[in-house]
Amino acid sequence: MSARAERLLWRILPGVPAAILLLVWSVYWQIARPPPSVIPSVAAVVETFGDVVWSGGLLTDILASMARLLGGVALGFGTGVIAGFVAGLHRPTATFLNPLVTFFNAISGIVWLPLVIGWLGVGSALATFLIWNTVFFIVFQNTVLGVQLVPEVLEQGVRTLGAGRWETIRSVTLPGALPYILTGVRSGLGFGWRALIAAELVGANTGLGHMIFNGAEYHRADVIIVGCLTIGVIALAMDRWLLVPIERRTVSRWGLVTRARGA
Amino acid sequence: MKLARDLRILLPFMVLIAIWWGIKDGAGVSDRLLAAPPAVWNAFVWLVTHGVLAEYASTSLQMIGFAALLSFAIGVPLGFAVGTNRYAARALEGTLRYLQGISGIAWLPLAILWFGFTHTTTLVIVIYTLIVPIVFNTMTGVRAIPENYVLALRSLGASRSRIVIDVYLPGSLPSIVVGLRLGMGYGWRALIAAEMLVRQGGLGDLIFGARTFNQIDRIMVGMIVIGVLYIIVDRLLVQPIESMTLARWGVLRR
Repeated sequence: MSARAERLLWRILPGVPAAILLLVWSVYWQIARPPPSVIPSVAAVVETFGDVVWSGGLLTDILASMARLLGGVALGFGTGVIAGFVAGLHRPTATFLNPLVTFFNAISGIVWLPLVIGWLGVGSALATFLIWNTVFFIVFQNTVLGVQLVPEVLEQGVRTLGAGRWETIRSVTLPGALPYILTGVRSGLGFGWRALIAAELVGANTGLGHMIFNGAEYHRADVIIVGCLTIGVIALAMDRWLLVPIERRTVSRWGLVTRARGA
Repeated sequence: MKLARDLRILLPFMVLIAIWWGIKDGAGVSDRLLAAPPAVWNAFVWLVTHGVLAEYASTSLQMIGFAALLSFAIGVPLGFAVGTNRYAARALEGTLRYLQGISGIAWLPLAILWFGFTHTTTLVIVIYTLIVPIVFNTMTGVRAIPENYVLALRSLGASRSRIVIDVYLPGSLPSIVVGLRLGMGYGWRALIAAEMLVRQGGLGDLIFGARTFNQIDRIMVGMIVIGVLYIIVDRLLVQPIESMTLARWGVLRR
């Protein structure tokens, strides 16, 4: 294989699984002619996609889902980091909270739905609660870990130079714990995104989860497929344009702390 | 010493129950919103003595166990096949990453259309949820192994199966186990959510069914059981496997 052909192959390879899937799907549909409510044709899915895009229905659902995700994640992140710092800096609090956090982390998210639906009713508040509930424990655990792992020598070093408690936290503990906090945010977002879709299946009247659930009610497999593919695209976009850049920007700080730790 | 340890774990829960009880009775919260601790205990005893809890819990546990075994049996060889061939890895990495963003539960409505309200639907969703992180992590694990190890063995005349057993498997196991643990976290939640909608038994069905009749005490029993079972599976099964693998083979990654 020539170098050019190799390069070309390398570029088209990531598209191969999707191409194979499309081909098998089209051929199968031509031969078997399954009922469209169960397996729609490729053309029908494309058409439905066009419909929901032009009618603005897809955008409405995406925005509804994103607003809930943003609200829940921001809330989970804020409360998780603050509580994580309190527990991380004060060992007795961490020891006391640890068993509770383990337990509530095990039932975080969708498990709360039947109980909380009675408190908050169906809608955004419910979805936001479930996301907060999922994100909080993951961010909390990672923050505590990050704070506890910052070498005490560094904190003492800054304090001997005359820094106060807040100054020490701001200039040493926070940057030192940041990589762990971000790991928590990243994995929290993954769980939160799943919790959101699950919550919207039952507990919402808008959003992508509701869109696909509605598709099932009306036996519209094409709507479900469009919804699922959109969910995947959004998850991918969030990872690429939100999490990876944030992580890259903080790696320099991390590097600094790690080097100092070795010294 | 052991008493102090037990107390350290139990005390926070005792405080929590006291606060819960205080809110319930002090603020006079309705039984339709929150059940008092004794009511939850009575519901628990009732569910246990009538064998209801055992039935629902065993359905869920069998489901997750079966799904984990199957995902492992399919996912690991697939991950090896993909990870050892750089063309296959290039072709599948993007697709797998994409699929990882679509939670199993999102496919649930489609699965219901295809397989109806059956155990098959639940199983398909849980296996999908588990298998994607396992394949992905196996692949990443295999690809992180320095090629020199493979070349060294090959120059000594090792066969392909020998290389898989002696290099690929130990080298990628830590990463595989991480994938399994993450998959179990996602999978257990997907199972509960699927059971809520499929309504064919399982703990998700128990708590969602109790919602219909406003049996808050039963919901809370179900939630506690779900949490305790997950902790037991995680601590007694997944975590020992993880630390065992890391202790035995983790060195290879250096």
